[in-house]
Amino acid sequence: MDLVIGIGNRLRGDDGIGPALVESLEERPGLERHVVHQLTPDLAPRFGEADRVLFVDAAIDRRELDLDRLAPSEARGIGHALCPAAFLDLAARLYDAAPPAWLLSVPGSDFEIGEALSPEAAARLPEARRRIEAWLEAGSVPVGT
Amino acid sequence: MEKQIHIEPVTRIEGHAKITVFLDDAGDVRDAQFHVTELRGFEKFCEGRTLWEMPGLTARICGICPVSHILASAKACDAILAVRAPETAILLRRLMNLGQMVQSHALSFYYLSAPDFLLGWDADPTIRNVVGLVAENPDLARKGIRLRAYGQEIINRLGGKRIHPAWAVPGGVNQALTAENRQWMLDNLPEALDTIRETIDLLKTSFDCEARGVLGEFESMYMGLVAPGGKWEHYDGLIRIVDQDGSIVVEGHDPSRYFEIIAEASRPWTYLKFPHYQPMGFPEGMYRVGPLGRVNVCESFGTPEADAELEAFRAATSRCSGKVFDYHYTRVLEILASLERIKVLLDDERILSPRVRAEAGINQLEGVGIHEAPRGTLIHHYKVDENGLIETANFIVSTGHNNLGMNRAVAEIAKMYIHKGDVTEGILNRIEGGIRAYDPCLSCSVHAVGQMPIEVSIVDADGRLHQRLTKG
Repeated sequence: MDLVIGIGNRLRGDDGIGPALVESLEERPGLERHVVHQLTPDLAPRFGEADRVLFVDAAIDRRELDLDRLAPSEARGIGHALCPAAFLDLAARLYDAAPPAWLLSVPGSDFEIGEALSPEAAARLPEARRRIEAWLEAGSVPVGT
Repeated sequence: MEKQIHIEPVTRIEGHAKITVFLDDAGDVRDAQFHVTELRGFEKFCEGRTLWEMPGLTARICGICPVSHILASAKACDAILAVRAPETAILLRRLMNLGQMVQSHALSFYYLSAPDFLLGWDADPTIRNVVGLVAENPDLARKGIRLRAYGQEIINRLGGKRIHPAWAVPGGVNQALTAENRQWMLDNLPEALDTIRETIDLLKTSFDCEARGVLGEFESMYMGLVAPGGKWEHYDGLIRIVDQDGSIVVEGHDPSRYFEIIAEASRPWTYLKFPHYQPMGFPEGMYRVGPLGRVNVCESFGTPEADAELEAFRAATSRCSGKVFDYHYTRVLEILASLERIKVLLDDERILSPRVRAEAGINQLEGVGIHEAPRGTLIHHYKVDENGLIETANFIVSTGHNNLGMNRAVAEIAKMYIHKGDVTEGILNRIEGGIRAYDPCLSCSVHAVGQMPIEVSIVDADGRLHQRLTKG
């Protein structure tokens, strides 16, 4: 099963990129979609059943769209929300599950209150969508580095 | 020369705050203040919006407590429509509130607070979190995560999503429960019950009455809604206030007339107001709400397992516990009671009825909605014009009710652990722990935005900053 997780708040402008992309994916066998404001531990049990994981998130510090392979990373000094790499570490510890995971980072520029994406972010949606479809079609073949 | 200790930001709470500890010339604690440093102003920008928008709008006050605001708002709207929601709608609203109780309490206990007392107050702060708990006790962590997920899934299956479900509406709810979803809730209930039984046993065996004094103990009044016979209540009921001995101070007060007994004070050093029992004035009218408040005001839970545990708790403590740590204990007791009540609701065939909403127009120009949110009594009070546009909105939220109690807890813990100006991180964490025990939601209480870390400052008698420690 491929697990695709869109992270962000659709009421904060470009932070809604991840949810918008994941909600636009059509249902298909072997795909499980989640849209979350934050990564919280209650999502971890789903990692135990996933073959691959793709996080889709807005990025404030990037200029280009990037698909990066993630490695688990120990979280330090957290509350109840985790970054994708720390979340992988948590899932591995809890469920002995370390599915290969990637992060699709989509640059955003306007994170103020509002439901609309900025023109720049909206223009990136088609390419981001193509990258997600390519990831899904790649199946078990490793994608990216 | 007096010094002040500031703790800022306060971590593992829902929102942001800082603490100032005032030391006297000898370096001992003179006083402490819990500052809430952000303002959001939700009451103001609800003005001019339509009544029908209020449940959805006020849900956005918080990502942790949206269900609580939706339900209080819907009840206030019911009052303005002058309708009583159909009985099935009330059963479903109760079910969702119990799901909220389970998920919110589980988040507070397993994710945010258990790392303190299961890993140790003096443990490295970088591992004293849910990931550290996973490393130390993965079985408990796994079960706690699944228990919270159960509460969230109840909300999801009722409202269509786990956060901000647009489900409770003026006059009822907008979607009935399906037989399939009821069966899922029933099928997964035994596991949730087993987890909470195990957790209660862990608390009982690991923390005796003396150990539970670690976060201080003080006398106050307690407030909550109770059902007939003084039974624990979370959705309807009448206001009861008791003193530290459990003696009745206020009994059977109509919740819609809360303003006759509750007043709000303000102080310049915090955006969080100080609700208090008006006849006693401020600050003498301090009362506490939430799990400890509800358990202290009630005579019984009204369900067998929770009542047996309540009896054991009171036998080992007292009729009314004043221990701050017992917020945690009563929180897990409430999870047990909530799960038992979920079973009762799901076994009631009326819960599948499709008749879930009463339609009406504006029939009153004022309405109050009150119920028990996980953190305590939540009040929404609206005044509207003839067209149903909001003229004024007043929210008194659980964390506000506990503001005096949190300030007192901080001061008591500081006095226990800080002497001659000697301060360590472990001690500061106990002060933070005192606040975390109340599980404050500052997003709700000041309607605050963003991430909020903790800062502790120490200031001398002349008002000069002596030391500042920050985390988060």
